[in-house]
Parts: sequence; C-alpha cells; structure tokens
Amino acid sequence: MMKTRKADGSLQGRMDRRTFLKASGATALAAMTPGLMAGGAEAAAYTGTLDMLAWDFQPDTIKKLVAEWTAQGNPAVNVAVIPNLGYSSALQTRLRGGDKIDLYYNFAYNSQKFIDQGWASKLNGLPGVNDMLGEMFESARGRHVNAAGDVISVPYFSAVHMLHYNKDMLAKGNIAAVPSTLKEIYDASKALKEGGIVASPYVAYWVKEFCEEYLHTYLLNEGITAFDESGKPVFADDPKTVGVFEWWQAMYQEGLAPKSVLNDDPGKLSSEMAQGNAAFFVLHHYFLTSIRSLKGPQSDNVFQSAIGGKNFTLQIGEVLQMGAAADADRKAATWDLMKYYGWKDKAGKFTVFNQWAKAAGLAAPYPGFFTDPDVIAAFPTYYDLPLISKTFETGSKVVPARTLPWYPDFQAKVGDIIHPLLLGQATPQKTVQDLTDAAAAASGGTKRL
Amino acid sequence: MTSPALSNELSRADQWFGFRLTVPAAVILIVLLALPTGLTILYSLHDVPANGASLGPFVGFENFSIVLSSPVFWRSATVTLLFSIGFVTLSTAIGLAMAILLNQKFIGRGLARALLIIPWATPWLVIGILWKWFADGSVGGLNAVLIALGITSDYHDFLADPNTALPVTILAAVWRQASFAGILLLAGLQTLPDELGEAAALDGAGVWQRFLHITLPWLRPALATVAVLNVIYAFLQFDVIFAMTQGGPGDATQVLSLLIYRQLFAVTQIGLGSALAVILGLVALVGGLITVKLLYRGHVQ
Repeated sequence: MMKTRKADGSLQGRMDRRTFLKASGATALAAMTPGLMAGGAEAAAYTGTLDMLAWDFQPDTIKKLVAEWTAQGNPAVNVAVIPNLGYSSALQTRLRGGDKIDLYYNFAYNSQKFIDQGWASKLNGLPGVNDMLGEMFESARGRHVNAAGDVISVPYFSAVHMLHYNKDMLAKGNIAAVPSTLKEIYDASKALKEGGIVASPYVAYWVKEFCEEYLHTYLLNEGITAFDESGKPVFADDPKTVGVFEWWQAMYQEGLAPKSVLNDDPGKLSSEMAQGNAAFFVLHHYFLTSIRSLKGPQSDNVFQSAIGGKNFTLQIGEVLQMGAAADADRKAATWDLMKYYGWKDKAGKFTVFNQWAKAAGLAAPYPGFFTDPDVIAAFPTYYDLPLISKTFETGSKVVPARTLPWYPDFQAKVGDIIHPLLLGQATPQKTVQDLTDAAAAASGGTKRL
Repeated sequence: MTSPALSNELSRADQWFGFRLTVPAAVILIVLLALPTGLTILYSLHDVPANGASLGPFVGFENFSIVLSSPVFWRSATVTLLFSIGFVTLSTAIGLAMAILLNQKFIGRGLARALLIIPWATPWLVIGILWKWFADGSVGGLNAVLIALGITSDYHDFLADPNTALPVTILAAVWRQASFAGILLLAGLQTLPDELGEAAALDGAGVWQRFLHITLPWLRPALATVAVLNVIYAFLQFDVIFAMTQGGPGDATQVLSLLIYRQLFAVTQIGLGSALAVILGLVALVGGLITVKLLYRGHVQ
C-alpha cells in the first residue's frame, strides 16, 4: 500500500489532493475496479453477520441501503438504531460494557478518543483507503486523518455552515447585497429590525450543546485560528477574538436574535424562516430543505449564501468508525461496508450519499459527488450546488483539533461559557478567558467539572 | 394467644420458606442496586479510564475534593435544592388537594379519578417534550392561558429566561408527580371512617378543624410515603429538565443529575462523575430521612 510519509515516518495528515493522487498512482486506477470497491472479494471471506449501530435519522433508509449491500453477495448486517439525542453517551456506555460493534456512526469530535480508548480501529493500509482520501476535498481530510497520519474514520455525511436568508425581506429593507461578514449581518439585522420588517431577524441553533459549532463558525468567519496544529488554543492571541464575542452578545442582547434561541431546536428555527419570523438563519446547508419543504408563506423566498466573506466557514461532518474486532476477515467485510456507505458502491457511484442527498440535502466531502449527474438530479433545484461545492473546497475548514481525544471535554463546556455571555452575565473578555481555561484544562487532562 | 414455644416452632418452620420467598427479590436488589452502588463508590475513589477496562489508579478522596471545591458543583447543588423544594412542596400540596376533592361525592367522580392517572402514566421524557412545546414563547399554550387570565399581556420565552426556566421545569415535573401523590393520598383518604368526621361535626368542629385534626393526622403515614418518594424523585430528576432545557439557559436548570450525566457519559470522567453520584445519593438519602423525621415529629397516636 502506498503512503506518503513525513520525515518521521508517519503518514502525512494534511497532504494536498494532488499529492494524494500522485501517491495513489496505480492504486487509483485499480480503485476503479470492483475488487477494491465495495462488494469486492474481501467481504466474501467472512460468512458471519456484521453489527452496525446508527442514530435514528431515517432508520428504514439505513436498513434498505445496508440490505442492498448484503444483496450483492455480502454478509448480513444487524442494524441497530438509537436516538440521536444522547447517542454519544449511549454508544460509549455500550462499548465500555463490552459491546462489539463492527461499524457505527459517530460524531467527529469523538473519533480520536475512540481510537485511543481501543473502541475503534485505525484504517491505515486498508485496500482503497488512500484512494478514498485522494478523492476527498483537501479541506475535509483533517477530519478523517489525524496529525500523525492515521486514518481514523470515513465520512457518514458532511455539511457546511451557510447563511439562509429571506430575499424578499432584504429587498424590503433596501439591503442590496447579501450580508457575509459578522458586521454585515449585524448591520442588516439592525436595519430589518428598525425598519419594522421583522422583529428578530437572526436565528441560530444556540442551545448549549451546539454553541461549540457556532464558536468555530464565527471565529472562522473573522479569519481567526482557534487551535494551532498541535491542538493548543490560540484564539485568545488574536485581537479580533474579543470582537467576535462582542458581536455575539450584541446580537442577543439587542434583540436581533429572539430570546428563545437559547432553547429552540432547528425544526422551530426552520419554521421561523418559513413563516417569515426571521430573515437570517445560520446552520448547516441542508436546512434549506427543511425550510422549503415546510411550505410556509416565506419558504420560497429563502435562499442560501456563503458566510465569512474572504475568510471561512465551518465544515462539519459526522463519521463512520470501525469497531475493534480482531478477526481479519470480519474487519475486511466491515471495511467493505464502510467504503460502500462512506464513499462509493461497487459501480463507483455515490449510491448511499445520493440517497441522503435526496432525503435531506446531506452532502459528501468529495468533489466528484457534486459533479455526479445522479447527485445533481437528487438535489432540489433551489440548491446552488456549485456554491456548496466551492464552499467545501476553498471556503471552509474542519478545525482538526475537533477530533482530538480531549476535545469532547472542551466541547461539553462551551455552552456553559457562551450562554452567560449571551445573557449578559459575562463580558466578552471573561468569555475568552474562560474558553481558554476550559481548552487548556481539557487538553492538559486536568480533571474538573 | 399463641404460646411462645408454638410461635418459635412456627417461625422455624417458616424460616426456610420465607427465605426462599425473599431470594428472588434479594438477588434482583443485589444485582440492580447493591452492586451498582458498590461499584459507583469504588469508581469514585479511582481515576477510572474512559473505556472502563480497569479501575485505574486509586486516588482516595481526590475526586470528592475536586467536586466539593468546584463552583460549578455548588451552583448545581443550589439549583437542585431549589428545584427539590418547589417540586416536593407543590406536588405534595396539589396531590393532597386533588385527593380531597376526588374523595367528595359529585357527578363524574369516576371519570375524574381515572383522569388523575393520565399524567402519572405518561413517561417523564414525554412530559418534558410536551411542556417544552406548551411553554414555548411563540407557539406555546402557556402564554395563551396566562394572557387569557390577564396575568401577562405579552408572550414570554419562559425557557430562555434564567429567571423563569427553573419554575417552569418545576411546574412540568409537578404536573406528573402531583397525580401520583393524589392517587396515594386518595387511597389513604378512603380508609378514613366517615363516622370520625361526622362525630367531629356534631361536636361543632368546622371544615378546617376537621381537616387539621382528623384528616391530616390520619393521612400522616401516606403523606410520609409521598413526601419521601417526592424528595427522592426531586433529587434524581433528569428527564424532564433534559428534554426541556438541557440544563440551560446558562446553568439556570443544571441540576446535579444532569451534571452527573455529562461527567459520566459525555466527558467520560468516570471517577469524577461517580463522586458526584455518591454525593447526590447521600443528599437524597439524608433528605428522605429528614422528611420522615419531620413528618413523624411530635406524632401522637
């Protein structure tokens, strides 16, 4: 298996796409053959049953997709589905209790931790893994390959934070250009509020558990690096950081975002956009499907735009991880299923991703996904696919520190720190300090509540 | 009267039978209660790795020291105490009121008694989800009710306001627990002989005096049971709050059970989470014992 290695011998974690394609060389061609694609010969050696755990997004579709894989002469798969809410806790409890799961959905922020705890297997050297990474957006690779070069996961789905805006309201407010930077969003929101067009123009999913994604989205919007390559928190070193928190606090305190956003779920926020109770909604790109399919009076006026101006937005993605099974044949069969589910099928088509695109507008972090005619047909016409593809390619970052083993500890605390800021109980300066302390404590392994 | 010899003989004869009867329950209690309790105490004294592969190094009371010196713990303990006071007081008082009402004779009493069971038959998590929608600031019915009653004039986002989020979660939990208290207390009331009240009425006792000197003392054992259970439910409450606020906004509704959940299952600091669980278990135990003491203090048969 060909690998690009650093001087110390480890696999290069963030090599560019060109290098990957070069390094893959002959195997890239071989990858197009059925032997290396899903449903290949390696699955045939295992005759038992595989166990897969997923969260409850369209469970029937999951089972259908997996059944299609089995029908191609592959092993049967027991698919267990549990709720998304509390999934991480439930999964960890099962694994700690000795449950052997061959393949499971996971949140990207858990992925390195699971490797370190022996709950997940590295995927280094598996047939076609480098080809898969070579086909991936370079921007996405840091989520699946750690700094040491180990391949720790494959994509389940991916998305970018985008601005959903009401075109009609912007026209009524005489706002010529769609806002992009934080300041532009603030100004436009203020204009819409003061103009009496909408009382609380901006909505976002600011519940405690989700504040961490917005932390990165807003920092990236301003071109701020949150963590350096070693995972050290460096956002406090950037003078622009305090300004981000001032903006965040002002949006809430000045009523540009409704008071309820600290507790509203995305379903309600989509509804607010569809009903015309909000003009802006920042969240994953696929929420445009929710807004449009609600068919509210303003649904058809909602469009999507990139955020961050010349800077970046956050690219997120949940992942598939391989359990820690020791049996080689079983692992080979699991890997085969992973390739099918997180990359392409036997015929080189994005069958699984295409299904998720049809179901909810979810994306895959592969450029080829966005040019596949079946995928283009799967997305409703109101999506600007080239824009989303471009955002994946050059307008977004994954923040590799989010997969570090200590990160879930920090992630759990961000909401506790951001909510007091929004409620006016903490200053932006104190918020920066508290976040720095939380990150330092988590990365340093300090035990604290 | 049975002679002591015969009593002992019967006792001996029944001993083995009695032992066999209790074995299944004892095994279940040991497996589901004693073992987890023992393990939690053990974990609280160790730095347990996240994968649970071993106990990890023994750290003595370090986990307890970290917990007790943390302002997050004390803030959460305060929220838990406030929640518990509101929950126990309201669910017991409303349950008692409902029991007294449903003990009266009126048309539709059977239906009303059946309806009392509905909240209790609804899972805590579902209660939380229902109340989250009910208290919603833009589509919830709670605002409509308050406006209709003239209590407020505008819609309010109760769950996003740190001053109102906790009271609303208390109300949601009380809505279910009061029906449980009502059912137990109604059962207690139905054992109260009518003659006692009638005799007191003939002696000139008013409604309030009869309630205070006959009904309440008669209900004391049932009240003690209800109060102790309410205290335990209060300290261990998780589902309703998790569904409604996830502990927010800020830490306004972050009760200790939520903190334990996060520490054990999200952050997977098993030792620290176990120390928190031990502390909460002790607090619930002490709370229950104090409640029993208070309710039986000065009790004259």
